[in-house]
Amino acid sequence: MAMKNFLLYVFKIFVLTFVLMFIMDKVYSYAFLQSNKRSKISFIYNSPPTNYDVVILGSSRANNHFVTKMFTDKGLKTFNFGMQGSKLFESDLVLKLLLEKKNKIKNVIIDVDVTLKSENKSDGTFLKFLPYFDDSYVIKEHFKELDDFNSFYYIPFYRYLKFDSKIGFREMFFSVLNKKGNEIDNGGYSSLSENSGNLNTEVLDYQPHRNRYYEEIKKICKKNNINLIAIMTPMCEKAIVNDYFKKVNQLYPEIYNYENIVTEDKYFSSCGHMNDMGAKVFTAKILNDFFSYECD
Amino acid sequence: MFFNSLAFAIFLPIVFFLYWFVFNKTKSTQNALLIVASYYFYSCWDWRFLFLLVFSTFLDYFTGIQIEKSNSDRRRKFWFWLSISVNLGFLGIFKYYNFFASSFAEMFTSFGFKVSPFLLNVILPVGISFYTFHGLSYVIDIYYKRIKAEYNFIDYSLFVSYFPLLVAGPIERATHLLPQVKVKREFNFEKAKEGLSQIIWGLFKKVVIADTCAIYANTIFDHYNSMDSLSLILGTIYFAFQIYGDFSGYSDIALGVSKLFGIDLLRNFNYPYFSRDIAEFWRRWHISLSSWFRDYLYIPLGGSKGGLWMKIRNTFIIFIVSGFWHGANWTYLMWGLINAIYFLPLLLLRKNRNNTDEVDIKFSFSSLKTLLNILFTFGLTCFAWIFFRAENIFTAFNYIQRIFEFNIAFQNLKEQISFTTTFVLLYFVLLEWNNRKIECPLNGKFSKVKILVAIVLILLLGEFNIKNNFIYFQF
Repeated sequence: MAMKNFLLYVFKIFVLTFVLMFIMDKVYSYAFLQSNKRSKISFIYNSPPTNYDVVILGSSRANNHFVTKMFTDKGLKTFNFGMQGSKLFESDLVLKLLLEKKNKIKNVIIDVDVTLKSENKSDGTFLKFLPYFDDSYVIKEHFKELDDFNSFYYIPFYRYLKFDSKIGFREMFFSVLNKKGNEIDNGGYSSLSENSGNLNTEVLDYQPHRNRYYEEIKKICKKNNINLIAIMTPMCEKAIVNDYFKKVNQLYPEIYNYENIVTEDKYFSSCGHMNDMGAKVFTAKILNDFFSYECD
Repeated sequence: MFFNSLAFAIFLPIVFFLYWFVFNKTKSTQNALLIVASYYFYSCWDWRFLFLLVFSTFLDYFTGIQIEKSNSDRRRKFWFWLSISVNLGFLGIFKYYNFFASSFAEMFTSFGFKVSPFLLNVILPVGISFYTFHGLSYVIDIYYKRIKAEYNFIDYSLFVSYFPLLVAGPIERATHLLPQVKVKREFNFEKAKEGLSQIIWGLFKKVVIADTCAIYANTIFDHYNSMDSLSLILGTIYFAFQIYGDFSGYSDIALGVSKLFGIDLLRNFNYPYFSRDIAEFWRRWHISLSSWFRDYLYIPLGGSKGGLWMKIRNTFIIFIVSGFWHGANWTYLMWGLINAIYFLPLLLLRKNRNNTDEVDIKFSFSSLKTLLNILFTFGLTCFAWIFFRAENIFTAFNYIQRIFEFNIAFQNLKEQISFTTTFVLLYFVLLEWNNRKIECPLNGKFSKVKILVAIVLILLLGEFNIKNNFIYFQF
């Protein structure tokens, strides 16, 4: 009898915890769905459909290198969706999500270089999509191959528990207040400051591989009549690239190699990331090479 | 296998089910199951050290019997010192050898002799300080004829390796635990219910209090050079709650888990931050270790009964050894030394047993004094924690020096204050204060509401992805 009572007591605690998790999962997801200012994902998710002339995708090497304002000054409706740490897994998803949300896109500029080293997801970025998991068919389908998919999908609140520091209570609370995050400032472009004098050498001691997410981006662009401009962006002079960029071109000849367009240390914040001055020089070159016709 | 891991959440119900439904016929089957479970639990950390645990168990079991059987004092002494020296030898090799070797080398180098010490490339076996002390207390108690030797190897093995207390205590006594493992346990609903509440409370302390405070404490201690004085003070307060939540949270889970198996373990914490002086703090903090050192070191050395110098000597010995027990680092020695300095005036003025009654606060002048005493004691404790937390002794002194530069930058301070954490800490302190007369604050009045709030806070604010393990595992 005592054991039966105890098992019943444990069962009640489990049910209570499960109910709480279910309710909190719904509350959190609802809160994230209301905000469009916290992150680039919330911006895509909750903004009205837009006709973009240029959409920029990629990692921090896209985020820090393409100055959105220089595009918009030329009359091109542009947003930089590059994200710190993002890989092609996330870039592919951003593009799919933009289309799911009925945005029209003429051109996609994507930074494809060091991200070709693997097909992994970015641990720090993919979790930002998780609050929209239940609501978006595209996100759910994209995440189906993840190891944790079933836990994320079937255990209520698990995603928020696991990534509390990124999509936990604090982020949910700010989403309720619709407090503006800094990701969407300056059309998504994030500028870096000048280097303090000594740039560390960056060594690219890995091999590029064919990447299914990049292939998928190419297919999507073709299907939706989007002009895809894939670019390798600059590295500093000290970088030991070991013919990495040449090897990328052997794999994907259509990727434009801009590795050596800007090289001087004064244009860099770190070896793989240009500062604001470098980004402006580089963006001017891109505008000149690809959009001079449209700008005229 | 951490207590706050998914693996343990699977392990515990399986052992619970087998214990009460399959192996519940006799005390021997119950004990055998718990030993297998304990060895599995320990091997999840590092199976290679299982032999050390088994050897230590066998050594103390065998020497205990030999001490009891010996007719002559000489033989008793032989077996006694054999056990003590082998136990402390293992502890010395794994925990202290490298520290002494490199410290001596540094000392010789400072005198102009170049010495390259031979250092061991070994990791510290988890829980070694705890199970070694279990064994030591058992052998010492037999030697002084306080208890009889245990002849049942299974029962004795369980006393040493019982999984809830195996890796971070509480440090049990044979007089308390052995009688419990020698009888068949019957299921007790109230005890099991209490155990479950205590597990939830321990989990709350670990994942909400300790791990949340750890984020801020780590930021402040790791970047203390760029912090202002108030942020540095705040860093020590965060660490005070981190280490309390972490260690007492672990102890609560251990006690709670053990209650599920019908076994009571020694209480390890009794709301230490409500202490009115340092002597009271040490009666409330890590009680099983403090009382171990009191009974097996302080009292045999003469305690507080001798002359002035003996009292001073014994106080310093017990606190420094206690500090050193935590790890081979000058920071722990310093932490022990500071606590000895705090304690000494109370001892010399015979005020060390002034505050043995329940702490209470009412609207009166004396209560204001009590409150100030509590805050003062907490302040002293926080100051000593700087040494406990710092990477090395120089960092600790630099940290303190920066506090006393009285450089105040409110922007810097603002970045280190989280309103969620402040709110949770206030709730935590108030809940502990209101329930300080019972062992687990979630029991007693309004227990259902308190459990509900604890679960909600664990879900809302718990840090589950943090890679921090329990601090005391390293000891």
